[in-house]
Amino acid sequence: MLNIGKIIFHIIILYCLYFIGNWVQDTLDLFIPGSVIGMILLFILLLTNILKVTWIEQGAQFLIKNLSLLFIPVTVGVIDYFSLFAGKGVRLIGIVLLSTVLVMIISGAVSQWIGNRKDLKHD
Amino acid sequence: MINFFIGLLAILSTVGIYMLAKKINEKVPSPFTLPILIATIIIILLLLLFHIPYDTYMIGGEWLNQLLGPAVVALAYPLYVQRNIIKQIAMPIFIGVLIGAFVGISTGVLFAKWAGFGELIIYSLSPKSVTTPVAMDIADTLGGAPPLAVIFVMIAGIGGSVLSSVIFKWSRITNYMGRGVGIGSASHAIGTAKAMENSQLEGSISTVAMVLSAIFVSILTPVLVSFWI
Repeated sequence: MLNIGKIIFHIIILYCLYFIGNWVQDTLDLFIPGSVIGMILLFILLLTNILKVTWIEQGAQFLIKNLSLLFIPVTVGVIDYFSLFAGKGVRLIGIVLLSTVLVMIISGAVSQWIGNRKDLKHD
Repeated sequence: MINFFIGLLAILSTVGIYMLAKKINEKVPSPFTLPILIATIIIILLLLLFHIPYDTYMIGGEWLNQLLGPAVVALAYPLYVQRNIIKQIAMPIFIGVLIGAFVGISTGVLFAKWAGFGELIIYSLSPKSVTTPVAMDIADTLGGAPPLAVIFVMIAGIGGSVLSSVIFKWSRITNYMGRGVGIGSASHAIGTAKAMENSQLEGSISTVAMVLSAIFVSILTPVLVSFWI
């Protein structure tokens, strides 16, 4: 029971950072979403030791462990767009998948290649 | 009051179905039994079967949705834990993600253009490789449709996660860095969730890739779209 209380408390702290992130985005009219600003802010607070890692640890682990679950409601939204993928629209799925696969292979291969070269130099 | 119970029912069923999908994935480990894929299909079938509109489901779904923001904030935690390793490999990550952002926007825009789709679709499709809130903002700025952008983001996220293990094996991307950068650049937070299941380090690199990618794609999309169209 103590643990659940801890998790809830940690999530409340994360929620506050999310709100601050949104506020920063609105105020400065930035293109980066509030959640990402909140994440960068939390990272800085942890690095500078202003916020102790033990204040968010269990809550963060809990949310990350269940990240897939949190995406399900948005994903189910596809239901309202079935008609778009009827007929010619079905090609869009192929286009997105092909483009996604290309990104994955090229970005992954490039960073692996540069990383390996760097290792060789150190030897 | 009735909304409260509908919401509660929607959440409890979503959590239950998600747990069931995880069990299925344990029993039959395969890219096609990815829990988010199985759970989404089951929920869509149930909604269609009982004629429940998406908006009704979202009365509860919205509660889970609310946790998505703090969950993205929470990704700073693994980043912090792995900070020393990430610092050492910052350059390969940075270059890989930058090239990935260029490839993702360019191929998406060009393929859609060649297939004969109009500007509304092309604008909505171009930011598909980045996390939902960013993609919606980019599509909106360009003159696309944010709800449509979300659908393409979901296809890139789930499709990429399902295909990732086969692709990495086939293209010989074997180390944690290449895999983290690849899945984070291509499949944003859904891919990161998958990478986190493999290892915390791979997940952290995917987190870095996802955040960098969001920034690069925000800047590059308006430029590349006007260049390619």
